[in-house]
Amino acid sequence: MGTRMVYLLQQLVADAADHDPDQLALVCRGSRLTYGELEQRSNALAHALIERGVERGDRVGVFANKSVETGVAMYGIMAAGGAYVPLDPTSPASRLAYVIQDCGIQHVIAENRQRATIASLERLCVKLDTVIGLTDADISYPAMGWTEIESRGEAPRRRVLEQDLCYVLYTSGSTGVPKGIMHTHRSALSWANVTASEYSIGDDDVLSNYAPIHFDLSTLDFFGGAKGRATVVMIPEEHMKLSASLASVLEQSQITLFYTVPLALVQLSTPGVLDRGDFSSLKRILFGGEPMPLKHLHSLMRMLPETRFFNVYGPTEVNGVTHYEVPGPPPVHGDALPIGLPYDNVEALVLDEEDRPVPQTKVGELAIRSATSMRGYWGRPDLNERAFYFRDRFDGLPEVFHRTGDLVHQDRDGVLHFHGRKDRQIKSRGYRVELDEVEAVLITHTDVVEAAVYGVPTQDGTTEIRAAVTLARASAATPSSLRTYLAEKLPGYAVPTVLTVLEDFPRTPTGKVDRRRIAEATTALSTSGERS
Amino acid sequence: MSERDPRQALREFISHELLMDETAALDDERELLLDGTIDSLGATRLVGYIERTWGIEIPPQHVTVENFRTIATMAGYVERRMVDGSES
Repeated sequence: MGTRMVYLLQQLVADAADHDPDQLALVCRGSRLTYGELEQRSNALAHALIERGVERGDRVGVFANKSVETGVAMYGIMAAGGAYVPLDPTSPASRLAYVIQDCGIQHVIAENRQRATIASLERLCVKLDTVIGLTDADISYPAMGWTEIESRGEAPRRRVLEQDLCYVLYTSGSTGVPKGIMHTHRSALSWANVTASEYSIGDDDVLSNYAPIHFDLSTLDFFGGAKGRATVVMIPEEHMKLSASLASVLEQSQITLFYTVPLALVQLSTPGVLDRGDFSSLKRILFGGEPMPLKHLHSLMRMLPETRFFNVYGPTEVNGVTHYEVPGPPPVHGDALPIGLPYDNVEALVLDEEDRPVPQTKVGELAIRSATSMRGYWGRPDLNERAFYFRDRFDGLPEVFHRTGDLVHQDRDGVLHFHGRKDRQIKSRGYRVELDEVEAVLITHTDVVEAAVYGVPTQDGTTEIRAAVTLARASAATPSSLRTYLAEKLPGYAVPTVLTVLEDFPRTPTGKVDRRRIAEATTALSTSGERS
Repeated sequence: MSERDPRQALREFISHELLMDETAALDDERELLLDGTIDSLGATRLVGYIERTWGIEIPPQHVTVENFRTIATMAGYVERRMVDGSES
């Protein structure tokens, strides 16, 4: 038998299944699938999707909480020639309807638990050809249960190239609607190669899957895990949120590589959480998405002296592109951790306002050239025009860099340090939120005259979203009713935790709304117990 | 120390403070952690609320899925702690 050429992501699973079909691939909530079973079930799903009309390049939704079927769905969609689009089960129906329509999704893989939201989609007149994974007949969309999917050995034959679409991740957009980030098999496979090699992922590894699939952290777990033929233990959503339960999954599943967000590590470092267990399997902890508070990292590194810690950096648009291995427990009051050096197959440029490289050690916008980079934003020529920087090369055939919007400087050793954003994008508890999106949605409320949304740093090192509004005369709107309004349109993590009604907004001398003074004024109010 | 019925009190706190919907009809068996009603920030607030309302201290190792999965399991936890001040 010759060597299988691997140019599509799902071929990693096929390759692992060829090599050792009995190796455990996915574990979740007491269910487990070997690589052989994962390959077989995803091929069966692929045939079913093709029979239901899925064509090459079609976007197929995955609308489910974590289960081993999530993995079957991802690889089955790819094997059918399609691209998977995660639909966040905690998002309001109106936002899901937007994503489904924006991305032209006609087929969705779901589970019974999402039945009520699927019924809401019907009421919102969202059209779907097939919903796979529902056993109940109480939706009017054509449904197909998992048991109706016939097992077939071979993967369907389809001409799909590495440049073709593999998945689309929707993220907060500053104009008030989310935007879809398009990744190809090539960018996904490049990311799998980077992670498997940088973190030495092998078949004796047990990776956690902390983040749900609508969150880009999940790609390291699934893609790097498949590349290394490792086992991936999907941490149930309910265990993610409570540190004692998270710790018991890490211990009992003997996780060897844990990739997560700083907030989870802050919570794990709380006294009483990790001190009783045996975490000797945990060889590496990777974290990213937000700056890591040093105090907590310090105590965690002292609790886990044998574990290697890496700060991983990269926006969803480019996957991971730089990292920094923390050499030892950092000084508690030291400088923030660097984001580190680019991976070998990555070039980083730091640009000024005129797109000229800045002198070394000066702050500018980070631009990235990497095979892990996205194809572009789905259906958004306006954004695509600004997203890339072209460096002229080969007589008019430019090299393409993605503009990250992140401000950095490079020190004398080439190590990159993060300095915040060029725009109003923030990270709150690991979630990426455009404050302008929250403002844009708030202003659509008929009683809201003006809205200001801003981030306030919290004690555990993340950012809390807050808002202030001025209301129309005689309006009956209250902070509570306005937050309810937002919760119907935005994911829960993007809804401001505190919303204050003001008579008037403070302004700068040029008449602009002064968000900094609003933040100061409302923070003073809320610390005196004015939480709404 | 409060004599309030834990289920009723927890329903009110969760619908007002976490769900941001005072009219929400909360089922005591609803999977609040799984469906996103309680996130890690919400869990911290909920722990603080329970500690204040019933005058108990909740050690970190008690903040588990088994105890906080639903309103019913949370109320069960509060009731057990009210009977015997330390055990989970």
